[in-house]
Amino acid sequence: MTKIWHKGAAALIATVLLGGLLAGCTGSGSDNRQDGDSYKLKVLHNWNGSTGSDQGITPIEEVIREKTGITIEWEYTKGSEAEKVNTIFATQDLPDIYTGPAWGGELDGIIKAANEGQLVDISDKLANYPNLQKSIAKENVPPALYEKAFDAFDGKQYLLLQNQPATNEDGMDWLYGFYVRKDIAEAVGVDPQSVVTKDDFYQFLRKIKDANLQENGQPVFPLGGFSNGWAVGIGNTMFFGSNYVDRGDGNLEHVFFRQEYEEYTLFYRKLIEEGLLDPEVFTQTDPIAKEKINQGRIAVLAAHYPAILDASKEYVTANPGSDYIPLGPLDRAGAAPDRPVDLAIQGNNVTAITKNCQGECVDKALELLDFLASDEGFLLTRYGVEGVHWEMVDGTPKPVQEWFDKFAEDASGKERKNVGIGIGLESLTGLDRINSAAGGDIWADQKRTEAMENARAILRPNGIQVISAYNPGDVITKSPDWEMLKPSLDRTGDAWTEAVFAKSDEAALRILNDLRDQMKKTGYDNAMEYVNENLKGKEVVTLQMPN
Amino acid sequence: MIKSRKESRRWIKRVWQHKMFYFFMLPGLIWFFIFSYVPLYGIQVAFRDYTFSGGFTGSPWAGLKYFQQFFNYYQSGDIIRNTVVISLLKLLIGFPMPIILALLLNEVRKIRFKKTIQTLSYLPYFVSWIVVVTLMQRLLTPYGGPVNELLGAFGADPIQFLNNPTWFYQIIVGSEIWKNIGWNSIIFMAAIAGIDQQLYEAAKIDGAGRYRQMWHVTLPGIRNVAIILFILAVGNLMSAGYEQLLLLNGPATASIGSVLDVHAINSGIREGRLSYAAAVGLFQSVIGLILILTVNRIARKISDVSLF
Repeated sequence: MTKIWHKGAAALIATVLLGGLLAGCTGSGSDNRQDGDSYKLKVLHNWNGSTGSDQGITPIEEVIREKTGITIEWEYTKGSEAEKVNTIFATQDLPDIYTGPAWGGELDGIIKAANEGQLVDISDKLANYPNLQKSIAKENVPPALYEKAFDAFDGKQYLLLQNQPATNEDGMDWLYGFYVRKDIAEAVGVDPQSVVTKDDFYQFLRKIKDANLQENGQPVFPLGGFSNGWAVGIGNTMFFGSNYVDRGDGNLEHVFFRQEYEEYTLFYRKLIEEGLLDPEVFTQTDPIAKEKINQGRIAVLAAHYPAILDASKEYVTANPGSDYIPLGPLDRAGAAPDRPVDLAIQGNNVTAITKNCQGECVDKALELLDFLASDEGFLLTRYGVEGVHWEMVDGTPKPVQEWFDKFAEDASGKERKNVGIGIGLESLTGLDRINSAAGGDIWADQKRTEAMENARAILRPNGIQVISAYNPGDVITKSPDWEMLKPSLDRTGDAWTEAVFAKSDEAALRILNDLRDQMKKTGYDNAMEYVNENLKGKEVVTLQMPN
Repeated sequence: MIKSRKESRRWIKRVWQHKMFYFFMLPGLIWFFIFSYVPLYGIQVAFRDYTFSGGFTGSPWAGLKYFQQFFNYYQSGDIIRNTVVISLLKLLIGFPMPIILALLLNEVRKIRFKKTIQTLSYLPYFVSWIVVVTLMQRLLTPYGGPVNELLGAFGADPIQFLNNPTWFYQIIVGSEIWKNIGWNSIIFMAAIAGIDQQLYEAAKIDGAGRYRQMWHVTLPGIRNVAIILFILAVGNLMSAGYEQLLLLNGPATASIGSVLDVHAINSGIREGRLSYAAAVGLFQSVIGLILILTVNRIARKISDVSLF
């Protein structure tokens, strides 16, 4: 009798496992889009590390459902965004709406998908959706990006752009730079603002190293960064103005071929060799990077200021006076001292409807996107539900104190996400008008705002200017040799880090030269000829700071 | 004709007689069919300009374009060399280890101790590389890692074990052995269990001690299994281990740690060059097949043991 039970149980388990296997092999499908009274749309938010609420549908999403009749089913990316783009189209596991970075391999992948019939052409429907139409109007998109991704498909329109500033006051300056812990700068007796040249920077790091500072029995690294080396390489602006440099005869060449690039590489090699730069910085994961910051083991951090403020919050609270403050401003190669800082403030996000969504689904997707890009949608996704989380006072949004306190106390950001703020909706809201139409970020806490303003005053003494010129990096992708050249050009970053760790300066230069030869072999000269031909008479980006 | 019909009937009868054994084989055969034979259909991508819309069969033919691209790639020679060197090291050092472990375990007489060691040695096999590498980062870091703390206690200077060419091969081979030694020893344990006990008794009567029994009975008893596994392992010579190398190779070790598996995955998934990646993968497989056939032939000639 027991045997029969055993056999029965074994058969049942086998059936369940086999059933599970087969179920796993079948696609999820998107046929059943009706979710009660609402229509379900699957949105892929292709930003590495983005997450949603852990409490199901949020109050903001409920309002969206009321207003549009649409329920959003989110998918978030963990890992490389470029890999995700390639994977979804190669496997045909497509969302209804794709939204992700408006640059690099991610944008190239989406353009490739558009060219290969994977996205829905919305050109004949756009007239019905004024908010969307506005977001990709020629005057609202940087020219080279417009030619590359919006006016690039023979009149067809596949992409939408988001988060480009509606007015100058909306432009977000992330304040990229090197930031030093105030207590450490004091301990080594150096005024952070006296560090201006490459040599000052090197000597400053040297002083920190020589001071043999320790935290919890561990050495303090003079210079460090976040995961995978982000963004220690930003010292490049001390060596060259942008990725494409005038050869002196009016023609451009890639900076990788220039002497300045070699100097930049050897400078960082020296930092590694002398123990001034954390040797784990290029291979460390995000938790390890943040752990080092939280343990007070990084003296100078390179990144944008909001990331540094977030990562150091815990340590600074426990150790008052250890705030990270800006270094410099450091010299900018090729820029006059009184020149405003050149920043590319353009939309950071593109959105597309994939071929998974057809017929009624396309109209529903456009309705949703148009609502989110409206002023009402913008305020809803940034601030929450009017009357619950914020109120309009004399035409200006004001936070409800209870929610302001809740958000301020919650360092994890979970409270906001559970309301629906920061879960990806903000990527779909058209032009950024946080200042011009929304009265400034009502959730920003006073201390953080002050720190940002202080850093701005130091790092931007002459203000900023938004780049509107053509970026040769966008133009080169249209060259006939691009397919051959791209793999070599994509390797410049890897080759740089390998050169930084090379055993000698000669070995480092050999690594650069080997890749230079390969680039030449794969059509670099022809591609640059194409770039120079196409940019003749046009204003070109020659100075650009990270943003 | 009549003869062949008779033969096929006999064959069917024989299969039917042993139907339960064939039934047990069925899941394995289905697995191989689904995961090893069906994907062969995708090989054609290596000869096509793969497009999302065209897919496997509708994309235009490209001939040997992507193979040419690979061989013209300035690092292809280095990548092939690195793959072969790392695989050879793993094979030469890593292959005998499970045999040694199996032999040692076979000599253990305390069953509970033996079972404990077996279980402990199997466990790492089930831990994913990402966890193993994270543990290694924590254990081996020169900044507060326990290994370096221990070395420090003996007066040694801290050592940067990871992302260091000096320690790269030791780390790669060592972690591979640690992770797989227990699991790979199972088949040798099974082979040892299948050795006729009378052979040991006869050896004892002839005056053989434990060491001589191991040398003259146990080792010859598992020889055939070892040769077959060696032939199969040689087939993997062009594959050095994707996850391990992806995670343990860093910028400082790139010149000796960039391997074909990682190159193929990066080209295909990160850069979206799926045809190129398929060409690199196919190159690996073809070389692997040639190696298997060659080693199989050599093995058959010198030992009468072979796969086919």
